[in-house]
Amino acid sequence: MKQLHVPIESTTLANGLKVVIAPDSTAPVVTIGVYYKIGFRLEPQGRSGFAHLFEHMMFQGSENAPKMQHIKLVNSSGGTLNGSTQYDVTNYFEAVPSNALERMLWLEADRMRALKVDDENLKNQRDVVKEEVRVNVMNQPYGGFPWLDMPPVAFRNWQNAHNFYGDFADLDAANLADVQAFFKTYYVPNNAVLLLLGDVRPDEGIALARKYFADIPKGAAPPFADPTEPAQTEERRGHVEEKFGTLPAMAIGYVIPERRTKDWCAMALLDQALHGGRAGRIHRELVLEKQIAVEAGGGVDDIFGYDGPSQMTTRILHKPEISAETTLAAFDEVIREVQEKGIDAGELEQLKVKWRSDYYATLEGGRGGGMPKYGLMHLLACFTLFDNEPQLVNSILDGFLTVTPEDIHAVAKKYLRNERRAIVIRTPVKGSVKEAA
Amino acid sequence: MATRASEIATGVPALSAERSVAWPKQTKARLSNGLEIILAESHTVPKFHGELFFRSGNAAVTDRAPGLAEMTSTVVRTGTSKRASRQIEEDLRRLGADLGSHAGSDTSAISFAGLSEFAEPLLGLVNELSRDAAFPEAEFERERRQKLEEVKLERTQPSFLAGERLRKVLFGAHPYGQVSPSEAQVAAYTREDLQTVYAEFYTPANALLLLVGDFEPQAMLKSAETILGNWTGKKPDPKPAPVPPNPRGRRVYLVHVPGAVQTQILVGCHAITRKNPDWVKLGLTNSLYGGAFNSRLVMNIREAKGYTYSPRSGVTALRQHGYFSVSAAVRNEVVAASLTEIFYELDRLRSVPVPEQELLDAQNYLSGVFSMGVATQAGLLAQFSTVALNELPDDYLETYRGKVRAITPEELLATARKYFDSANMQIVVVGDRTKIEDQSALFGEPEIFNAQGARL
Repeated sequence: MKQLHVPIESTTLANGLKVVIAPDSTAPVVTIGVYYKIGFRLEPQGRSGFAHLFEHMMFQGSENAPKMQHIKLVNSSGGTLNGSTQYDVTNYFEAVPSNALERMLWLEADRMRALKVDDENLKNQRDVVKEEVRVNVMNQPYGGFPWLDMPPVAFRNWQNAHNFYGDFADLDAANLADVQAFFKTYYVPNNAVLLLLGDVRPDEGIALARKYFADIPKGAAPPFADPTEPAQTEERRGHVEEKFGTLPAMAIGYVIPERRTKDWCAMALLDQALHGGRAGRIHRELVLEKQIAVEAGGGVDDIFGYDGPSQMTTRILHKPEISAETTLAAFDEVIREVQEKGIDAGELEQLKVKWRSDYYATLEGGRGGGMPKYGLMHLLACFTLFDNEPQLVNSILDGFLTVTPEDIHAVAKKYLRNERRAIVIRTPVKGSVKEAA
Repeated sequence: MATRASEIATGVPALSAERSVAWPKQTKARLSNGLEIILAESHTVPKFHGELFFRSGNAAVTDRAPGLAEMTSTVVRTGTSKRASRQIEEDLRRLGADLGSHAGSDTSAISFAGLSEFAEPLLGLVNELSRDAAFPEAEFERERRQKLEEVKLERTQPSFLAGERLRKVLFGAHPYGQVSPSEAQVAAYTREDLQTVYAEFYTPANALLLLVGDFEPQAMLKSAETILGNWTGKKPDPKPAPVPPNPRGRRVYLVHVPGAVQTQILVGCHAITRKNPDWVKLGLTNSLYGGAFNSRLVMNIREAKGYTYSPRSGVTALRQHGYFSVSAAVRNEVVAASLTEIFYELDRLRSVPVPEQELLDAQNYLSGVFSMGVATQAGLLAQFSTVALNELPDDYLETYRGKVRAITPEELLATARKYFDSANMQIVVVGDRTKIEDQSALFGEPEIFNAQGARL
């Protein structure tokens, strides 16, 4: 078995900014990321969607790079860029030919030091974000299903349960004072990590990081809202309407174990047994064997990338002539089987090989849409911000590869219980559909 | 769009000297059965990526039924004479592999990726799928019913409806005019139709195998020869369809989706294939117009006006033809305003030479992004397959950046005049007619369709 080892150098500047470098001179390309430890989960109450709107504002101008200059400087240096708001982090990243490294560090430092935006910028991006929500959610069949439909049903703590894309009234209420306050509170160097991956020497990278970031003042330690959930004691259900699609849909989510525990590793492999593509038990039973569903898949989304209550969620679109009860019964049968019998050693071995292969694929590209080393950047960032241990990238696999069939059986019994789950049923408003449960 | 005086960055560090881009050496071979093989090393991770292309796709059999090659490729993975569907899926997992089988307009393909340590068994499975697929009756039936639901579902997606209408308008009766089958056409598929397509398309003489990854090329080539060398089959006869006429005049097509809270705009005209000598120039012109975040269209209707989230333009190359298109999902109130800006930016590129600095920025962008393909196995495979399938010159990748950098403002102006044919551009809008019909009519008498494609 060929194990991959990623060389990693890391340091912390006096202002608390963590710097992580993973050198690889294969291609003359460098990927630069800045991760801030604040996502949409912990955004302020009454300001749903604000963390994401704020992310847009980070492209609207900083002290020395006014509006449009940020995007322009990355593109005109031969690079691509983006940012994303997630549960517990927000990231900003660019991949560029390595001769643009210093320019990119200057840019990222400029917007970490001083955001410079006005009311016109805010109004502009509020409009853009609304069109983003329309194109991805409101004007799409099954838009936001289940990632936006599930939290309000599954969780009781507002931090976990609110609309992460934002209610339009909350987006409208957001003002410039909110923007600057959020920036001052969470976008401080001591709440961030800078990542340099690819064609950069560690000593050079650290020297440049000091040159551009060292004089950004350290901020107060950010106050974080408490995402703890009260104990769940009953199955939860919710119903939503599907405006465009013709197939009835259902999502079932189970709260998963705390990250980096033994149970968490076993759960990850059980998730693969259930949701691992066409060989996964749920797809196999519901789509291939029983043929009651057109689509059945899902699982734990980005297992390394969250730091709070999370779920393993199955998404099912089933045939209109099949009732919701029948669909759920077929799903429950799959769950019951792993609870009663666990999985055998042969299947577990297959799952481990696939897990290792998928892990390497994540490191090389991940969800970067062709951007080199996006996945490696993401893992290094999360292991640094959540665990202060970027080297976990080279050892985290071990915990998964030592899971036993007994471990899997135990987590199936402990975690796949009705009182740990929530069900959302999304029913088409048009077409002939049998009454849902 | 005016630039405010303050909008200039100050103190920006200069770029340092550029490192040259080295594309890995390609090892090329043609087996005695006609199979063409291209291999390249890339040791980023202990994996490899592969794709077995067949140079025939949906367009070659649209006269029999639209989407027939796609349906064939779907059922290919569901069984061989040696392995049942479930066995295939479990074997893939055992090898740590992913596999997909798809067909586009001009090609069918089996794409795969897996751990290098299991390269031989994975190639063995790919070999089995490409010459020994069994098309089990029950699997075919299930996939056909599945497809019926999928074709219903795609008619609820605005971007699908826009793309389908534009292709119909641009290519008419040509096979490229038909992007998806109707429910009735899917219902009429037979297992024998698929087997005929399989026998015709899936032959070594019609195939190209690309492998990129963590392996030693000579050893890998030897494995490929051993596994695929005794496969036989001839090239299918080419069936060129008559060239469709380029639509004249600006016409508006409205696809009515009751209750839509946004409008999908898609505007397009005929363009060129990748073999055309103007391809690189058109690529750069597109990049300036709407092909990059920093492009004129994005800066105008997103960053200045906030009409839309993700406007973009692109050139789609098919084997016989190509087309240029501009898309934006905009709020219903600004459909006319958005179309005005879309045409304004097209006409500006046709009328006024691009300033030197803006051209230089776009050249940097295109050449930088192009070279990113070198950093991943999947990126290399995509670039190598583009060159091979389009029969581009051997030095295409190495000379591309030089060609981009040599383009002048005059050439760019000429390219925009030639291909951004705004007077004959076809306009598709997908949305609620009660909200957008009046605005659309400002650009021409709209022909109105429902989501099923029927005239209203």
